[in-house]
Amino acid sequence: MAVQPESSIEEIRRLRRCINDLVSVLALPAIWTGGGPSHVVGNLLDALMSMLNLDFIYARLGNSRGSEHAEMMRIGPTLEPKPQPQEISERLRPWLTDDPQKISSVVSNFFDGRDIALVSLQLGLHGEIGHLVAGSGRPGFPEQTERLVLNVAANQAAIGLHEANVLRELDQRVAQRTVELTSANEQLHEARAALEKAFGEIQRSEAKLRQVIDAIPTIAWCNLPDGPNEFLNKSWHEYTGLSPEESDGWGWQVAFHPDDLPPLMTKWQEMLMTIEPGEIEARIRRHDGVYRWFLIRAEPFLEEGKLVRWYGTSTDIDDRKRAEDALNKARAELAHVAQVTTLSTLTASIAHEVNQPLSGIVTNASTCLRMLDAHPPNLEGARETARRTIRDGNRASEVVTRLRGLFSRKNTAFEPFDLNEAVEEVIALLLSELQRNSVVLRPDLAADLPAVLGDRIQVQQVILNLIRNGSDAMSAIDDRPRELLIKTESDEGSGVRLSVKDTGVGFDLQSEERLFETFYTTKGDGMGIGLSVSRSIIESHRGRLWAVRNEGPGATFLLSIPCGTDT
Amino acid sequence: MKSLDEGGAIQRPLVAVVDDDESVRESLPDLLGEFGFNSKVFSSAEEFLASDTVSQMRCLVLDIAMPGMTGFDLQQELKIRGHKLPVIFITAQKDETVRRRALDRGAVGFLLKPFSDTALLRALNTALGLD
Repeated sequence: MAVQPESSIEEIRRLRRCINDLVSVLALPAIWTGGGPSHVVGNLLDALMSMLNLDFIYARLGNSRGSEHAEMMRIGPTLEPKPQPQEISERLRPWLTDDPQKISSVVSNFFDGRDIALVSLQLGLHGEIGHLVAGSGRPGFPEQTERLVLNVAANQAAIGLHEANVLRELDQRVAQRTVELTSANEQLHEARAALEKAFGEIQRSEAKLRQVIDAIPTIAWCNLPDGPNEFLNKSWHEYTGLSPEESDGWGWQVAFHPDDLPPLMTKWQEMLMTIEPGEIEARIRRHDGVYRWFLIRAEPFLEEGKLVRWYGTSTDIDDRKRAEDALNKARAELAHVAQVTTLSTLTASIAHEVNQPLSGIVTNASTCLRMLDAHPPNLEGARETARRTIRDGNRASEVVTRLRGLFSRKNTAFEPFDLNEAVEEVIALLLSELQRNSVVLRPDLAADLPAVLGDRIQVQQVILNLIRNGSDAMSAIDDRPRELLIKTESDEGSGVRLSVKDTGVGFDLQSEERLFETFYTTKGDGMGIGLSVSRSIIESHRGRLWAVRNEGPGATFLLSIPCGTDT
Repeated sequence: MKSLDEGGAIQRPLVAVVDDDESVRESLPDLLGEFGFNSKVFSSAEEFLASDTVSQMRCLVLDIAMPGMTGFDLQQELKIRGHKLPVIFITAQKDETVRRRALDRGAVGFLLKPFSDTALLRALNTALGLD
């Protein structure tokens, strides 16, 4: 653009004005400090408008090709009517470029018929910060000085905006960091609260546990690995009357009966060495001086394979022990009584069974004598009756022998025997008695029954007892047949099973438990020991004897014994 | 003792023996024979009743404890049927109450096994009114 020569005064004035403007522009950043981009740009546009008397000035921030951008503009009073900002920005779009051709140009009929000279400036080296477009209709615009001011202003703006962006970024970072720290702080508070809550709960748990340990009705204690006591619960102190100080360490020994303490200490030392659980019975002195029996048990407690503590209980078994002693005494008496009763049963059985052949003997012998006294003597008849006599005599002898064998308590010798044979013998023995009592016998003996290992005589004793009981149970039955089913079978490959099923009065649920008790009987006479002793016998054969109620009337008594091969 | 029938022939009275015991059924007939009686044996009361010979009997030797119908039952049944047959009970039960019961029911005799031959003869004479 050609520059018209002017008077020197004009020139000086213009230069002076230029220097002033430059100074002002250079001072602008000081005003911008701390401000955001819009503050910077707004301030700049205002300054340039007043300095250069522009018709308008437009700024666009952000890459024109990018999505984020901001527009600002100032419109001078000379433009009448005031154009809409959109119109100007639309029009200026081609100038928002780094095309050097367009940096300074004149646009005719830019607005409202007027010619406007535009100066387009980049903000940032490649216009990445934005663009500035200044426009004026004044002829001679832009002068060199004006162009200089605009360039410097653009530069300052770039620097100012860059700083503003940096500051803004910094602000954002600080804000974010503050948010993060606040969040972290909150989390810390929460964690602390949770911890305190957990501690509270632990304390409550401990208190509850302590309550439980003190409330359980047994003495509980805890010892150290090498033996001395560390803790005893309330029950100990209440029972013994000893204080924690008196009981601590080895102090608890004073509460034990002097006869029971040495074996207890021996056992305790043994356990300390082997680190094995154990138990022992001993008497502990109550606060009033009375000794009671206790069962003392201890278990080692290991953590990662190492012995850490001994935990134990001492349970009052005094009542139970006294009952046991009484029971043992009763058992001894019972064994004696059982023997005696068995003898009387034996006697009764013999008398009964022998009676038959004896009757025959007496009758036949009497007849024989009469026949010999006849005239003439009936020798044939005498011979026959004498023969019968001898035969019946032998029969009687057999019965006695068999019965004696059945009831004699020889030394128990376990041998294999055939259960079916044993049953048949007992049946033979009782046959007439059963017939007398109108009992219909139904034997059901399994073929191929494996041999049973045991005392044949004793087992026959039990079978006799069961059959007799079955018969007795039906003695009052009139309205149905008195059937006694005697069955043998293999017990699922592990033994043999015998059942005696009657159609008698049966037993009710309450009696079921007591059937096998000593002295329990439903018979008016008799001592009812049969089942108790029978059960002992079968159990000594490692078998079981039990009873079930039938679906119909009556009961079934069953016994099972393991096989002979099962040793 | 023997009695005379219509033709004047000597007749031996007929005695029934009812007992489930085999040795009794085997031995009594010979003894009764020596006493001068004929006899018929039955193994059960039911068998006796079914035999149709009841009216021919002059006396009944009867066991008490038998399966099925007992001796007492049979005695009762005969009474119901109107037979006036004297009964001698034989039993192995040495129970006083049983004895009393038997006599209360009008038994002519009650013998405990084993019984002597003379005791049986005495009872039979009483039963037949020959004493």
